[in-house]
Formats: sequence, C-alpha cells, structure tokens
Amino acid sequence: MKIGETDTGMLIAVRGATVWKQQRHYRYMRLGPFIFHTTDENKRELYTALQTAYFNVAHEHAFTGMLNLMQMPMRIANLLERWLQAALTKTLTDSLVLFDGSLTAGTPDAPTQQMKQLLATARNRDNAVLAFSKMTNLRTNGYLITDALPPHKPPCMLETDGLKQRPPMMLLGEVYVARLTSGSCAFRLDIDREIPPSERVEAVERLLGNDLLSQSYPETLRLAHILCTFTANEVIAMQRFITRQHHVKIVNRPDMHRLLFGPFGRGDVNA
Amino acid sequence: MKLYRKEGNILQILSFSNETVEKGDYLLVEDADAGKALIAQVIDVQFANVPGVLEELLRSLPDGGELIQGEDYDPLEIAPHITYIQDASLLICKIRATVENETLTPSSSWLPSRSQSTIRKLSVPMLLKLAKVDGKLPIVLGGTKDSSLLTIDASGLDGRLNIITGKKETGKSHLSKLLMLNLIGYKATVVVFDLNGEYISLGMTGDGKRNAHHDKVHVLTPSQNFKVSLKQLNLHVLLGILIHALHLPGTSAREFRRIWQSLKERDMLNLHELGEAIRNWQCNQHVRDALFSRYHALVNSGFFTDESGSMLLEECLFRAKENGGAIIVNLRNTSAIDRQLVVEYVLGKLVDLLTSWKLKVAFLFAEEAHLYLRETYWDDIVTRMRHFGIFTTFITNQPDTIKENIYRQADNIFLFNFTNEHDLDVVSRAARVDAETVRSIARDLPPHHCLTLGKVVRDFPMVVKVKALDVKTMGETRLFFKDAD
Repeated sequence: MKIGETDTGMLIAVRGATVWKQQRHYRYMRLGPFIFHTTDENKRELYTALQTAYFNVAHEHAFTGMLNLMQMPMRIANLLERWLQAALTKTLTDSLVLFDGSLTAGTPDAPTQQMKQLLATARNRDNAVLAFSKMTNLRTNGYLITDALPPHKPPCMLETDGLKQRPPMMLLGEVYVARLTSGSCAFRLDIDREIPPSERVEAVERLLGNDLLSQSYPETLRLAHILCTFTANEVIAMQRFITRQHHVKIVNRPDMHRLLFGPFGRGDVNA
Repeated sequence: MKLYRKEGNILQILSFSNETVEKGDYLLVEDADAGKALIAQVIDVQFANVPGVLEELLRSLPDGGELIQGEDYDPLEIAPHITYIQDASLLICKIRATVENETLTPSSSWLPSRSQSTIRKLSVPMLLKLAKVDGKLPIVLGGTKDSSLLTIDASGLDGRLNIITGKKETGKSHLSKLLMLNLIGYKATVVVFDLNGEYISLGMTGDGKRNAHHDKVHVLTPSQNFKVSLKQLNLHVLLGILIHALHLPGTSAREFRRIWQSLKERDMLNLHELGEAIRNWQCNQHVRDALFSRYHALVNSGFFTDESGSMLLEECLFRAKENGGAIIVNLRNTSAIDRQLVVEYVLGKLVDLLTSWKLKVAFLFAEEAHLYLRETYWDDIVTRMRHFGIFTTFITNQPDTIKENIYRQADNIFLFNFTNEHDLDVVSRAARVDAETVRSIARDLPPHHCLTLGKVVRDFPMVVKVKALDVKTMGETRLFFKDAD
C-alpha cells in the first residue's frame, strides 16, 4: 500500500503472509513490511531489479510494458505474492495449496510462462493448487458466475464450460463456482486444469475435511489476508521508521476534494 | 511527550513507553515563545487511542482464542516501531498552576503551543522550590517517588484543621505520630485522644529504650494516674460533662448548679458531700433521681476523686508549654460514657486555659473522634475552638464519620489508600482538592503512601512514602495466629 508521498514519488509498503494448518493449529510466516521509494525515474529499474532477482528473469526478458506510478503498489505487491506462491510450490509436497485470486495468466502480474512453471512445480510435488477469487468479472448469460449458482445444498461446485478466453490472457485453471458452506457467499474457484477432474474434486473434499470454512471461504486464506493487511497503527509505525531512519519529513498534502467541496468531498482514497 | 488536548483545566498528553510517567507525577509544559509554563499533575494514565490497535489485537487471537503461532521476517525491524506506537499512553493531567517569571499563579486560562511546547517531568524538589514550600520549621514527611524528601513546614499545621484518613493498616497513626513528634520538637503543646493506647510508648525506641522525646511525652490514663477532684473543677466544665456526656436535662442542671454553689460557699466540694446534698436537696423527686443517677455515673467512672492530689493535666500542659510536649489521654479500656466524660473534661479544661491565656495554643490529635466527641463539638472545633487556639487533626478510617462541613473547612488532608467509592466520594468533598485527583490517585496508593493535600504543600497534591519512626509501635492488631509461624 501507499504509505506516503514525497516530492518525487511515493512510499510503498508491501507484506506477504502464508498460513498453514498443522496438527489442528494454524501457523503463519509473515514477510515484511518491505518499504520502497518509487518515482517516475526509478520505477522501471526497481521493478526489473525485483523480477530479475527473484524470478530468474534475464534482464532483457524483464517486463517492458507500461508502468504506471500509481499502480506500483499493486505491481510490487503482486511480485511478492507470486514469489511466495513459487516458494510454497517448491517446498510443499502432497499438499493443498490455496492461492488468493485466480489462475489466469498472461497479465503483467501473472506472466504465462511463470504461472505455468509454478503450477508444474506444484504438480510434480503432488500438490494441488486451488485459487479462490473473491471478485470475478466472468459472466454467464450476462450474470456474474458467482450469482448464477443453482439452488443446491452446500457444499457444491458448479463446473463452468466454454468461458471465453481473451488473448493474451489464458485460464490455467478449471473454473468452478463453489459454495462450500451454507450462506449466500459463492466464490470463483480455479483448480489447476492439468490435474484430472476426479482429483480436483478430491482436492476440494480434502479442503472441506481439513480446513475451517466460514462463508464458503477457507480459514487459512482468511488468516493470511488478515495477517498481511496493514493496520493504521502499522502505517504510523512505518512512517515513524522512515522519518527516523531516512530523516524524511512527512507532510500532509491538502486534500483537494475536502478543500474544494468541504463535507461533500470524498476522503483520501489512498489512505 | 506531546501535548494533545486541553479541556478546561485538564491536559491530555501523549507519552511513549520510554518515558516513565506515573500517576501523581508533575509535568512542566513549557512554551518558550509565550515565556510561560503550565504545571500539571498526572491523575490518570490511559492507553492512547491509536488507530488500528483493536485490529492488531484481534488478529493475534484468531486461533480459537489462542495466540496464533508464527514467524515474522521483518528485515527493516519495523516491529519495535509498531510496539512503540501501540504502547503509547495518554496522560490525563490536572493543571495546577502557571509559571511566569518564576512566579506561580493558579491560572489555566492560556493555551500553550501544541507543536512547540516542550514537556518534561518536574522533580519534587524543583516543584517545592517553585511553590516555595519551605520554611524555618521543616517536617520531613518521607520520600517521594523520585527519591527526594518531601518536607513541609510546621507552620502549615499551625492554626489549621487537618484530616488524616485512609483504610485500615495504611499508616495513618504512623503519620500522626510523625507530625506530633515534630511538633513537640518545635516546642508545641500536643494533646492526643488515644483511643487504642497507640501513642503511650512514643517516648520509647523500637527496642524499648528511652528516646529523645521521652521526657516530653506524658501519658494520662483516666482513673489511674489521671483523676480530678471536684475542687479542681469549674462548674461549667462539670455542667458540660453532665449535660453533654451524661445528658442531664436543663431543669436538673439548674438544680445541680444551686447544689454546687451551696457546697462551694461552704467549702464542702467533695464527692461524699455532693451525694449527701443531692439526697437532702429540696426538689422534685424526678430531678433528684436524675441528679443521683448522674452522680453515680461520676463516682463509678473512677475519674473523680476526693483526694486533693496533683493537678496532673494542668501540670503536664504547663510543662509542655515551656519545652513542648505531648499529653496522651489514654482512652484504652475506658467505657464509652467514661470516654465522653474524660474528653469533655479535657476539652473544657483546655478552653479554660486558653481563654485565660495560661496556654497559648494546643494541637489536638483526635483518633476516631466520632466515638467520643459529641455532635455539637464538631462545629465548635472547626469554628470556635480554632479562635481559642485548639488546632485539631482528625484521624479516622471511616471518612463518613466526619461531617461534610469539616471536610469543606479542612486546610490539610493526608489521604492514604481507599478503594471504596463511597469513602472516596466523602473525602473528595474537601474544598482544597478536586474529586478527580482524590478518586484517581488515592485508589492506587500503596500502604504507607500518602497523598498530601492542602496548605502544607501549597495546594500541589503530592504522594509521599511516610518515613519510618524509631518509636515503639503499640497500634498493632492482636492476632490469634501470630505465633503459628
């Protein structure tokens, strides 16, 4: 997330977390916060440096597309997330690996080759990758797929078929709509499509038997989200760290919306 | 520390974990540009309302209420900063004064700069110096938290009404002994109504030897070494005893006055003749019965005698007048009626001696005064007797036994620990203190620590650990299991 602005750019903090369940207890590994100062001048250098350092991407094959400064918090966070996912698939065996998001590849944050390699590594170590998306744009008959689930008693999954792929994006997972517990929530669930269908269903069954599910969402993912979310208190602490370590003075920029429209102006959307 | 908010005379100051500030501490909020500073006392320490703390706490406990186990890889070492922010505290402070050109004023009407003000702890010696709590007659009450001594001036007790109160076994009697011995040291005359015989060994050290005060401590035990003959009594003192302690009705009192005058004219003032005179007096039978019953009460008390013995009380008072001294009226093992009788006599005698200027001043220490002081004396003591030169210190563990108007007029209050809300409410009615200070600080006082309020500390409430005394303690509770160890 963006934790402040400087004269030339912005300060970004990212943090990642993995959660696993072991002997009925949840444990976590949290990495970060990592703080970056990114500017229009250094954004590409920074992004390329991280890619080459952590994903074995040769400098000449690094991302060459457009990098928007405002999107840098998300881009760097995605790098960390992808790195964590890759590390997990390389270290776990015979496990269920839950990702936050989808298994869609071909985006700047999910290069196809990288994603394919990640899933292949997981498969080779007998891991099954399941990705839960809280939001989806996939629609069927004009409706979001998560709203189009027929009224079956949960746990249930609806296999989707014939979803259009828009190149260069490609779906590396078989897309399901899953309602795993009673309640109104349903999620898009991507399961590595190279896994045989019966094993995909078995993977979900193992998930149901091994993890707590609340509102159809796995507890491990919920905890990972909670653990890596920055609280206001942590943002203040990071700002304090920066001011003390780098002698940067934090300045509150005037909020133009508030300034112009008073109580009708929206708050700082980046806060 | 940073100034956060000011509301009325309450300051809220943000403090961090490396700044150790506790309740009772004084802070100096200096605004260099304004050339002024506020003196504020911390009356409560709260957690600062740091945004996100609730989320932080909640997410550390999601595993069925147990702390979730895990590892944090924190290469930049942000965690100490997070802890620093989370542990920030909010100091609720009461503004006590403004310092300008080294002069104190009780004003809190100005607002120091929030961004430019510097805040630091004000040591007790510095505060005492600023408040000019000094003098020629120092009494060291004890040590403060910053290891300095709290010294008051004995003149702060002169002409004042003092209250020492607190829960049982918090050190009230100890403080009253300390004050008393210091007053004796300055040649003051002290009279103590000692309900439990706690003060009778003030002249002895802890190991039973004579101490420096031995010759100045005079213990008077009614019916033993303290008796009075009728000849030594003034009629109005005796009438006071009869009316107030023995509840003699007015008509009977009038008859008694005639009997007394008749005996006095014939120089026959003794117990036997008084009894005979009542028996033979021409009056209503009910009046005679009333007089007889009081007469027997006087005789049975053992306090009155026909022996023309020494006038012990006067002698002791006059000796004390010369070099200072304490007259301990030992009321232990004295019945409730006899106690009132003795107290009426002593107070009457004191007023006599003071009004005739035979005595200049007497400091009266009254323990649990509600057990022997009649209703009307309370007002007398705080209003009338003050003008005669009786300056009272009440000592009690039941603050509600002292009337509200006494609290309102108290000049100094030495407050020990109380946890009961009702007790704190009662004490907080005192005019020289604000209720928040009393409620907040007194509740957390450890044993032997006293919150000193009033003129002796120039209205700067201060917490002090009362210093130890090398005198033989007699106020200990008798225990059944004492020897079990």
